[in-house]
Amino acid sequence: MLQYIIRRVLIAIPVLLGITLINFLIIKLAPGNPVDMFINPNTPKELLDTKKELLGLNDPFFLQYFKWLLNLLQGQLGYSFSTYAPVTVMIGERLGPTLLLASASLVVGLAIAIPVGVLSAIRQNTKFDYLMTGLSFIGTSIPQFFLGLGLIYIFAIQFRLLPTGGMTTLGGSGGAWDLIRHMIMPVFVLGIVIAGKKVRYVRASMLDVLQQDYLRTAQAKGLHPFIVTNKHALRNALIPIITVVGMEIPLLLGGSVLIEQIFQWPGIGQLTIQSILSRDYPTLMGLNLVAAFIVLVTNLFTDIFYSAADPRITYS
Amino acid sequence: MKRNVHRTLLGVIVSLALLLSACSANKPAPAPSQAPAQEGASKTEATSTPQGEKIVHIGIVNAPITLNQINDQGDSASDNVLALLNDSLLDLNEKFEFIPKLAQSVETADNQTFVVKLDPAAKWNDNTPFTTADVAFTLKLALHPKVETNFRLNFIEGLNDTGKLEEGVTEISGLHIVDDHTFEVKTKTKIDPLIFKERFGTKVFFLPQHILKDVNPEQLATHPYFQKPEVTIGAFKFGSFVKGQYAEVVKNPSYYRAIAKLDKIFIKVLPAANLVAQLQTGEIHMNSIPVGLIPITDYEKVTGFSNVELTSGNSSVPPELFFNAEKISDPKVRQAFAYALNRSLIVDQLLKGQGEIIDGGIPSYHPYYNKEITNYSYDPEKAKQLLKEANWDSSKPVSFLIPVGNKIREQAADILVQNLTDVGIKVDVQKFDFATLIQKVLKGDYDVTIFTRDFYIEPSSYFTLFKGDNPGNFLKYKNPEVDTLIAQGEAESDPAKRHDIYNRLQAILHEDVPSLAVYSEKRLLAVSSKVSVGKPLDIGMFNNVNEWDLNP
Repeated sequence: MLQYIIRRVLIAIPVLLGITLINFLIIKLAPGNPVDMFINPNTPKELLDTKKELLGLNDPFFLQYFKWLLNLLQGQLGYSFSTYAPVTVMIGERLGPTLLLASASLVVGLAIAIPVGVLSAIRQNTKFDYLMTGLSFIGTSIPQFFLGLGLIYIFAIQFRLLPTGGMTTLGGSGGAWDLIRHMIMPVFVLGIVIAGKKVRYVRASMLDVLQQDYLRTAQAKGLHPFIVTNKHALRNALIPIITVVGMEIPLLLGGSVLIEQIFQWPGIGQLTIQSILSRDYPTLMGLNLVAAFIVLVTNLFTDIFYSAADPRITYS
Repeated sequence: MKRNVHRTLLGVIVSLALLLSACSANKPAPAPSQAPAQEGASKTEATSTPQGEKIVHIGIVNAPITLNQINDQGDSASDNVLALLNDSLLDLNEKFEFIPKLAQSVETADNQTFVVKLDPAAKWNDNTPFTTADVAFTLKLALHPKVETNFRLNFIEGLNDTGKLEEGVTEISGLHIVDDHTFEVKTKTKIDPLIFKERFGTKVFFLPQHILKDVNPEQLATHPYFQKPEVTIGAFKFGSFVKGQYAEVVKNPSYYRAIAKLDKIFIKVLPAANLVAQLQTGEIHMNSIPVGLIPITDYEKVTGFSNVELTSGNSSVPPELFFNAEKISDPKVRQAFAYALNRSLIVDQLLKGQGEIIDGGIPSYHPYYNKEITNYSYDPEKAKQLLKEANWDSSKPVSFLIPVGNKIREQAADILVQNLTDVGIKVDVQKFDFATLIQKVLKGDYDVTIFTRDFYIEPSSYFTLFKGDNPGNFLKYKNPEVDTLIAQGEAESDPAKRHDIYNRLQAILHEDVPSLAVYSEKRLLAVSSKVSVGKPLDIGMFNNVNEWDLNP
């Protein structure tokens, strides 16, 4: 197992390099550049040329890439073209809020999806099942921005129970309760979307397991139905769910652009959009590197958990 | 030209906000139900604010990107925060008057030597006196060839045409320090004092020499000072700055003028729909223009808020159609475009009457606006006739590049396309994000485009674009007569003669139509009834920010 992990980590290095090279290529191919965006006929052309020179935009493509790589080896991601802040700082201050929002939504989503999915499967083709599959269908198909704005309208504007957005009350005394109040709506929206998708997986996977012979055996042994469902069936039914959740995590950590925008959540997604629109190459490269890293790490962890949950699966 | 930060989602959000507001408009909330709601709101506010602090929240839509006072990168959102942290020599107000700030006086006898006397009481917020040494330090650093700055001081003697020092030169020959509080600036030629007062008086902010004296100019931009500019000279000082979220400034207790009455100001970044919602909930106190525009579609809605006072600003800098003069070379065709457009429909329907029609880029309240010009009317028949005279090939498609992001401008462009089709011009619409659009425009890969320029008080800034030998003239427009007038206008120092020159220039450009303004919007200015002093303004909003106050 340890050998397997080491091998995977070693393979990850060239993969990461390849990803950064492709990203660099795509970013450079995108039309426009950070200097010409400041179009102003009153700005002398010489000044724009000096700026391009200072930012290293006149260097050949591969030289620019190698300069970036060299910086990376020294643990530096360079300075943002628009704010002139170190990219590591810019990403660092955004990563925390994104992690918080993502993990809270994932917990809420799974806390809804697993019990609902299991109950739906056990009571297949009952009114409860129809209602829940119907709701999960709505949960997956309702646009996030619609749900988000609807909630803002109801809870923030009509009833004034919750703040319309942000992460803390500006000028307020802060505190955990303040943070929670700001999290309720975005976490709810993301949680609903996750739950909507996952309910169907849990239900299908559970139905599959319930038809297995060993479950009939367990029932025939006279085990309590609760133990049959939760110990024998659920544990096996959740194995495929690990993969699905593992695939969800990079998406969540990449930042939910829409939700962060609507609720002004200071996360990675917002930063990504801003960097793309301002052609802020160093920040974009940094964001891509972080995203690629997260995908590789979660994939690795998914595989490890998978084998821990299902002894039949071994890596050698 | 504004570096528009486009929010791709804005369109979706705005249209949704529309939908929501439509829902609420159908059933006006009865007064009794509104009162308890507001009580609830003030209760939550009271619990979350430390006692007795006076805080004003200002909502804007575009995020400030930098706090660098010598290089705002043309970003109007950053200017909001910069104006709170930094004082300039002079303030400009809505009546286009220059008012002393850091400078006690700016005088010239010959329009070439400008004598500036600093306020002797002026000091940085760490109590270090502000002197002419700081002025000289700032200029030498900002005008160093490897330093990026938005200062445009190329009129000063000793600087090159781009307004920088030549490589290896460290002294500015046109800058003469008389004593600690007096300095003189000599210009290359006589200039209109307006130019000096705008570009030096109001656009130059200062760097503290005692903090930055050892900095290497080539690494100035990434110096940690600019991430946290704690030592500045303004009514407020740096509190915190979370990019894309908010900037917080706190009262400067050692301000050299009357100390601010407010304790803190937050400049908060939020989508336009949320801006309206937070005005309603009282989470923000006012907007700021041009970066905190209230969508005109929400006009009626905001008028209905009992806690918000809504006014309209002056008719602002218009979005303009820019023609590629190499592709659409016949002025008759460009005039035909002008006659074909139903701009009053845009003002009446899209802007709900909150705007006016002008033809040139200078807004009508600008002192150099030519009032004699009669606007092109909506006359499709005349347009057709002109096209016929010019032998226009109606099968030839005209590529019309539209930047995405400004919803009203996009909708207006849709109407324009319809108008053009109606007179027999085939239009090929292409929508792009701003960076892509600009690249295409600079390459000349377009026939017509539309965007909005900046506001300038100095009139020559509106015309540099049309200069035949300006590499930034993406219109490829060439007219020797216009070139001569532009040069005359820049060289003339007598304001009365300049008025004549610029009136003539506007008249010629009106006939030639290298560009055509579409509409001049009266931007909405909203302020909460909780604020007793302070409100959004077109110009000089923060001039008196130290007097701003909340109602008890």
